[in-house]
Amino acid sequence: MDAANFPRQGGGDGGYYNYPVVRRPVWTWEVPAYFWLGGMAAGAYVTAALAQNFGSADDRRVAAGGYYVAAAALVPCAPLLIADLGRPDRFYHMLRIFKPLSPMNLGAWTLTALTPIAFARAASHAASTGLLRGPLGTLARLVPTRLAELAGVVLGLTLAGYSGVLLAATNIPLWAKSKLLGGLFMASGLASGSAAVTLQAAWRGAPDGSLHRLAMVESAASAGEMAILTGYLLQSGKTARPLTSGRLRAPFWLGAVGAGTLLPLLVHRMAGRRQGRPLRILSSAAALCTIAGSLALRWTIFEAGKVSSEDQAASFELSSE
Amino acid sequence: MIDGYKRLMNIEKPPTPKTAKGFFTDTSLCIGCKACEVACKQWNQLPADGFAMTGNSYDNTGTLGATTWRHVQFIEQAKANGQGQEQRWLMMSDVCKHCANAACLEACPTGALVRTEYGTVYVQQDICNGCGFCVPACPFGVIDRTPKHGHFEAGTAHKCTLCYDRLKDDMTPACAKSCPTASIQFGDVEELRTRARRRLGELQARGESKARLYGMPEGREAEEVGPLHAFFLLLDEPERYNLPAVPRLPRKTMAQRYGWSAAVGVGFALVGALVFGGRR
Ligand code: SF4
Ligand code: SF4
Repeated sequence: MDAANFPRQGGGDGGYYNYPVVRRPVWTWEVPAYFWLGGMAAGAYVTAALAQNFGSADDRRVAAGGYYVAAAALVPCAPLLIADLGRPDRFYHMLRIFKPLSPMNLGAWTLTALTPIAFARAASHAASTGLLRGPLGTLARLVPTRLAELAGVVLGLTLAGYSGVLLAATNIPLWAKSKLLGGLFMASGLASGSAAVTLQAAWRGAPDGSLHRLAMVESAASAGEMAILTGYLLQSGKTARPLTSGRLRAPFWLGAVGAGTLLPLLVHRMAGRRQGRPLRILSSAAALCTIAGSLALRWTIFEAGKVSSEDQAASFELSSE
Repeated sequence: MIDGYKRLMNIEKPPTPKTAKGFFTDTSLCIGCKACEVACKQWNQLPADGFAMTGNSYDNTGTLGATTWRHVQFIEQAKANGQGQEQRWLMMSDVCKHCANAACLEACPTGALVRTEYGTVYVQQDICNGCGFCVPACPFGVIDRTPKHGHFEAGTAHKCTLCYDRLKDDMTPACAKSCPTASIQFGDVEELRTRARRRLGELQARGESKARLYGMPEGREAEEVGPLHAFFLLLDEPERYNLPAVPRLPRKTMAQRYGWSAAVGVGFALVGALVFGGRR
């Protein structure tokens, strides 16, 4: 053996003691909460706009409540985002430059652009139903609805999709290893957003046909989410262990996967043949599960990422691909 | 109007570029005296990090961080050599690599992280709003945010500045100035690279077959993050020093990730249009 060949210290992957290679993310609960609400707002807006442009008169009336949901869910978004900053007083520095290369910058601009559009569209709907009267109502009637829908859909899809890409555009193994996190958050946001539309539709006593169609859209998103989640877990392999077998395994498997995705799929299927009150109750229950599951998914993946940041072996594996 | 916006948002014209400056840290010369750590703390007025004993050799610093910009590692290695145990100590003063393609800089949404006229990567403290994105973006775990309610520059990101203030006055960075063995060498990056290649040749001729340079343009580690302006001569594999073999640049896979995300979004829109449009 030649002089310079020393065996690896402590065996294993032989990094420097067991110090992490990357730093632990400093973000706190505001971030997953914001991702959840932002995704839901976007999903609700997109669902409402789709019903508006392709649905029956009933669908249009029922789904328009989605604009209210979207506007309401967007309200806490900016405050949450600001609260998580180390220097909240400098939040506007996000908009100092336009730098879409940084998902964080892209997201800040998207949120800034989508919020007024969602409010304008909600106001215009309120004006059209007579809810908003007076000078504000007159003003709201001037909103170009088609344009607001188109712009809102594009911005909404960006908002629902960038959050997963943001987490993945780091060197945290659990976030970065699979290429599917952006798609997963997108599907989860669309599922929870369409679920929120279903929920308000059921509460307002929507006709059966519209409820069935909303449930179908929501289930499509949930099924997509399930498929992408499977792909994500397969691609991540051992790296996903903080999520699948650590202290987060219960909220992940039971919350995000079981109660949050599989159960609503099942309940919506069951409700498929019902009508009237039973249908409304089942749809609401399923929608609530989807919404809660979406929060569970963001939160568990977010927290598991922090655990993963300390996984020296996973970091070396990530960087040797 | 644009000028007004620029003034409001602190957007300045960048200074004219100068020759790239950097560090060549030759770990074969390091004696583990930690003069660099102390000089850095002192010059940059960084607070102490407490007095925790790690039990990991002479390293009671642990990792780089928001208030630790040089970190001396102590790697203890032993092997049997016939007459008993042969031991060696590898010591290495770690620092921000000032990557040519810096992940932290690309992640920064405010433009606080900039490339200076010396080719180094620098956090403008009056711009950073502490969003924390650069922290998990750095493949080397270098940059960090100070505690939000702490006493030192609370809530913003910090890392080695390559003594930007000293460079402005044609002075050598504090760590390199204080290093008693020239393990930390400061200078023009190009010249340092030539020096490093020569030194590697010397060591290899002496039988240090595992000696290698880390962060040179031709190295595997430059594939994504580019050559490092603070590069190293190592005596063992990079992982032994907690350095990734091929540090990742998140940008490289970002389009693919957005692609999947967009595919899901467009798929949902199609399904929605079909479901609402295909009603009986
Ligand atoms: S080592 Fe990390 S903190 Fe330093 S320039 Fe590279 S990415 Fe940025
Ligand atoms: S914490 Fe500061 S330096 Fe780091 S990415 Fe955010 S704004 Fe930029």
